[in-house]
Amino acid sequence: MDKKLGLPSAIATGVGLIVATSCLMSLGQGASILGTGFIITMILACLINILTALSLAELNALMPNLTGGLAQYTLAGMGPFVTILTMVGGYLVCQAIAGTVECAMFGNAINSVFDTGVPSWVFSVAMVAILIFANLMGVDIFAKIQNVVAYVLIGSLIVMGVIGTIGLGSGDIVEQPMNLAGSVTDTFGLLGLAFFLFIGCEFVIPIAKNIKNERRNVPLGMVLSLVIILIMQILLVVGMSRYTPYEELGADPSPHIFYGTALLGKFGSYWMILVSALAVVSTVNSAMSSFSFMCAGMAKINLLPSFFLKKNKRGAFYVGILVIGLIEIVVNAIGLSTSDSLIFMINVAIVFWMVSYVISNINVVIFRKKLPKAPRTFKVPFGPVLPIIAAIGTAFMIWNISDNPADRIKIFIIDGVIFVVLGIYSVIWCKVRVKRPLFKAIPIHEVMAMENDAYLAAHKKADK
Amino acid sequence: MEVSKIEVITSMNKLSGLKRALSKLGVTGMTVIQAIGCGVQKGTYEYVTEQNEEMELLPKQYIMVVVENEIVDKVVDVIKKELYTGHIGDGKIFISPISGIVRVRTGEEGMEALK
Repeated sequence: MDKKLGLPSAIATGVGLIVATSCLMSLGQGASILGTGFIITMILACLINILTALSLAELNALMPNLTGGLAQYTLAGMGPFVTILTMVGGYLVCQAIAGTVECAMFGNAINSVFDTGVPSWVFSVAMVAILIFANLMGVDIFAKIQNVVAYVLIGSLIVMGVIGTIGLGSGDIVEQPMNLAGSVTDTFGLLGLAFFLFIGCEFVIPIAKNIKNERRNVPLGMVLSLVIILIMQILLVVGMSRYTPYEELGADPSPHIFYGTALLGKFGSYWMILVSALAVVSTVNSAMSSFSFMCAGMAKINLLPSFFLKKNKRGAFYVGILVIGLIEIVVNAIGLSTSDSLIFMINVAIVFWMVSYVISNINVVIFRKKLPKAPRTFKVPFGPVLPIIAAIGTAFMIWNISDNPADRIKIFIIDGVIFVVLGIYSVIWCKVRVKRPLFKAIPIHEVMAMENDAYLAAHKKADK
Repeated sequence: MEVSKIEVITSMNKLSGLKRALSKLGVTGMTVIQAIGCGVQKGTYEYVTEQNEEMELLPKQYIMVVVENEIVDKVVDVIKKELYTGHIGDGKIFISPISGIVRVRTGEEGMEALK
């Protein structure tokens, strides 16, 4: 295949994939609690994520072109139990929750501008139903415009941030202190929330093989994407602290639209709703499709039941699409429109995501020890120091998942229960299907072989 | 003489990237031969469960370059990185000393014949 994408395309794709409108909810919450002090929290979270991005680039260099991504790295690094627990179960649960929150943002966005009188969840469920249908039909309705939509969203947010920062908005500037953080500890308390603003750089890895000078451009593209997002969000926080009263900002389920209105009146709200509604639909659509592919990828390496590999006549992995679609519909239908419940759900979900990042960083250290001489087209500098810092930093963010101690305990209990359930599934699945020792790593060449469609069929035949 | 021969046996792809990378390093020539062969896996495909009892010879390419000793490590490093996929069949690299070189057209010998 011709390598066509240069560094700018890699950055654009990275930025487009990392930013989701639900991030704006976290941003609004963070700004409402700490004001511009939240910028320190964001910088810390961004730095830790940059280190993780470098680790992921090294793992990709060691095991290139894998569809299951993080799961396969862990399978080769730590064996099937940890893989199923954190990467298959945890990561998929997290994707399902994050996708659900994104759907809820759609309904909220519509109701925050148009007073429809219809509950927000109705719009969310209708959108999911249409996207399930489109995905089952094998139609990618956003294939052509997905990136454009993401760039327009980011461009709009940057413009909005700049207008707010330099005070050019038509709305009134609010008299309130810019910074609400009294100490460094205050800024640490929201690290978990800030983490959500920068997750998803691993989604750049599947396009790595289409990028020119992959060795340089993949890690650089991921890092620059994160930096651009950080700059955009810093501008927005400054703008929000000037134009939006903190209390109302924190309570609003669509803070980006609230900010747009405060900044530019009705025009601002229409601008934001148009852009963000398109972005939400596009994100949920691609998340639905990638969820089904991820499940299929994991079924291919025998970590999930093989029915996830079933395709319908249109070539879509319909089981995965239906599973994620139904989760999104049910959770939205039972009520999920307040910003508090959305933030709580985000926090519950990202603990899994953070755990998968911690494990990925540890994987880098394991492979450095196991295969010190294997050629790596990209290697994180300074030995194992940076991956270790990234792992500790991410663990620290998990500990600071919420600034409210009661919420933190609740989050840990919910996540703990989910982990126990996944642990039981993991042990049973390892014994019954994988038939390998729980903690024995599978050699890299075998994990790479599992990519071949014939692997599962050949091994099933041998089992019989 | 301070010259070494680097021989590579690898699967039938990745040649153009390798050629480009070696040119960048200043390697002045290379020889590529289409071959058949197998390694320790006896030609077993990576996805099957049992190893072949008898060797099965698969399409391979044999690449040979001769370079000065001082760039051998660099060249080997580039070859390793270019050929690496993590899959079985990425290949092997053999390095051996060269005792003499002659350019037939001019009769030049030793390092002169290589430049």
